[in-house]
Amino acid sequence: MVDKIFYFIMVPMVYLAFAWCAVGIMWKVVSILRLPKQTHTLKIFPEKSAAGLRATIEAFTMPSVRRHQPVLWFFLGVFHLGILGLILSHLDLLPQINLVSAESKHMLGNGAIGVAVTVSVLYFLLRRFRTPIREISVPADYLILFLLFLIFITGDTISWANSWNPDGFVLTKQDFGAYLNSLVHFTFTNPRDLLTGSHYVVIVIHVLLANLLLLALPFSKIMHTFFAVPLNRLRRV
Amino acid sequence: MDETRKQELIKTLSSRLNQAMRMYLDNCTRCGTCIEACHAYASEPDIKYSPVGRAQNIRRLYEKYFKGAGKLAPWLSEAIEFDDAVMKKVYDTAYTCTGCRRCVTYCPFGIDTQQIQSLAKQLLIVADMEPKVLSMLADMSIAKGKNIDKTKGSFATAVSNLETEVLERWRSEAGAKAVPLDVQDANVLYIALAGKHSIIPAASIMNAAKEKWSLSYFEAVNFGAFVGNPQKTKEIADRIIQEATRLNVKEVVICECGTAYRVMKYMTGEHPFKVISFIELIARYLQEGRIKLDKAKLQGRKVTYHDPCQLARNGGVYEEPRYILSHLTDDFVEMTPTREDNWCCGGGGGLVAMGEKDFRMKSAKVKVDQFTATGAQVLSTACENCHTQLSDLSEHYKTGVKVEYLSDLVSKALVQE
Repeated sequence: MVDKIFYFIMVPMVYLAFAWCAVGIMWKVVSILRLPKQTHTLKIFPEKSAAGLRATIEAFTMPSVRRHQPVLWFFLGVFHLGILGLILSHLDLLPQINLVSAESKHMLGNGAIGVAVTVSVLYFLLRRFRTPIREISVPADYLILFLLFLIFITGDTISWANSWNPDGFVLTKQDFGAYLNSLVHFTFTNPRDLLTGSHYVVIVIHVLLANLLLLALPFSKIMHTFFAVPLNRLRRV
Repeated sequence: MDETRKQELIKTLSSRLNQAMRMYLDNCTRCGTCIEACHAYASEPDIKYSPVGRAQNIRRLYEKYFKGAGKLAPWLSEAIEFDDAVMKKVYDTAYTCTGCRRCVTYCPFGIDTQQIQSLAKQLLIVADMEPKVLSMLADMSIAKGKNIDKTKGSFATAVSNLETEVLERWRSEAGAKAVPLDVQDANVLYIALAGKHSIIPAASIMNAAKEKWSLSYFEAVNFGAFVGNPQKTKEIADRIIQEATRLNVKEVVICECGTAYRVMKYMTGEHPFKVISFIELIARYLQEGRIKLDKAKLQGRKVTYHDPCQLARNGGVYEEPRYILSHLTDDFVEMTPTREDNWCCGGGGGLVAMGEKDFRMKSAKVKVDQFTATGAQVLSTACENCHTQLSDLSEHYKTGVKVEYLSDLVSKALVQE
């Protein structure tokens, strides 16, 4: 029974979560695009040259946060760059992509990226318990950060516990790559046959949590990923 | 609250959900960067006076009626339903927001609190909870527009009574009207406020520049915008647009009133005439050498300038007042922070018209600290709301700083050759 549940989490649920997330994001974006546009300008002055480009740069670099909350800005930078790094490092698991050597046992960043995002998200979470942020926070704010923290900490566990085993690497980049490759090619191979390490259960939990994140994402504040640029354009263009 | 009222409120909320509003309500991550942007929070640190704290009332209502998660698991986002207690909270936050949009410059996304609070104000109108004085003033403006033919005569008489005071400041050529009305094909249609303080200095300056101008029958201030009623805002602005179109004027010049300027320039669509502020017109006269100013009038007094939020941060008029001041004094000092970072005076959004002196004084302590730190004896500004609020602040906190309209300083310093 447990094997069946683990298989469901590691294969069918991954497909369901990705499909749900993609449809949810598209639905959300389309539902906003179908609404009427603002009738008058919401610009802030003085006007800046190359306003569209500036809005895009501001969306990615958050200069107002750097100015007013430098510590928050530092962790936001680490977190967002870290997320980019994590996406790349997971894609790099595929045998077809080799950002680091195909023979490397480690993922991209040797586990450092995971630690960076874990520390950042822990900062965001703890910050929410302090006045005045506590007063404006709602349960969903804590839950999404806690979910991210759990995903990262299980990812760290997979990455670091794996290489600290007295027998050396139990599971390597190639093993994870084989699992991901089977997902990409819809082979429906049982991941247990590809990931033979003793901490398979941690991998299952990591994937389960990631699935939950994908399911929640279209309804969460993470959707700001898709709206940060258009929002900044309202202020500048 | 009865069900019919609740449904009306839901309908109103729905009607305001355009692209911008949906993105504003959906994407706030509650990072809290905006909190310290608000002068009210900086003066009285209570979360309900923070931009995000104010917006949360509306966001929670939106979550309840327009988001699946808010319907299925309201505890997640603390989604709430419309009721009398909620609307009381909405009132407390909507009418303590001056709409200065300083927080827009802090937010990493640029979420516009003024827009969210304008929605809040519209909900309060539907709930019959808006400040009645603002609605009454807006209705009076609209009624004046509808009955203008009946009031034109008495207005003309009142205006002619001001001519002596205008001539005391600038001796016009013989036969010329000191305050002209109904001038067809005028270059400038000047929109004043209800009160001679915004007519006399302007008239003397435009006469000194030998401008072909006409005084509007209508006052600039738009109480529809203050009360948060888009329909009334439009009707009040339309009176001026129709008059300007009828007279075929080249430019509509808005007196020292930030909200009137922003509404007319940026919120009423395209016009067959140009819209500028009176400050821009004065700067142009100086640039073209059409007026000259005597710096001796402000000799020995340090001068600072308060950028009215609707004129500067929300209107883009930054350089012109400083250019004018460079012709008025050699002892000018900027406030810190200044320009787009300047603190709001705390009197906008209808607060001055509503009275609310106790709140205005407490919530703008940070403004007093800012202008007293300059060491200036004269605090100039270019907005009636700001002028009233800053004067009240100066008196309340006994700063000894004299608050002056920029146009008044210019008018008194005109050099008659």
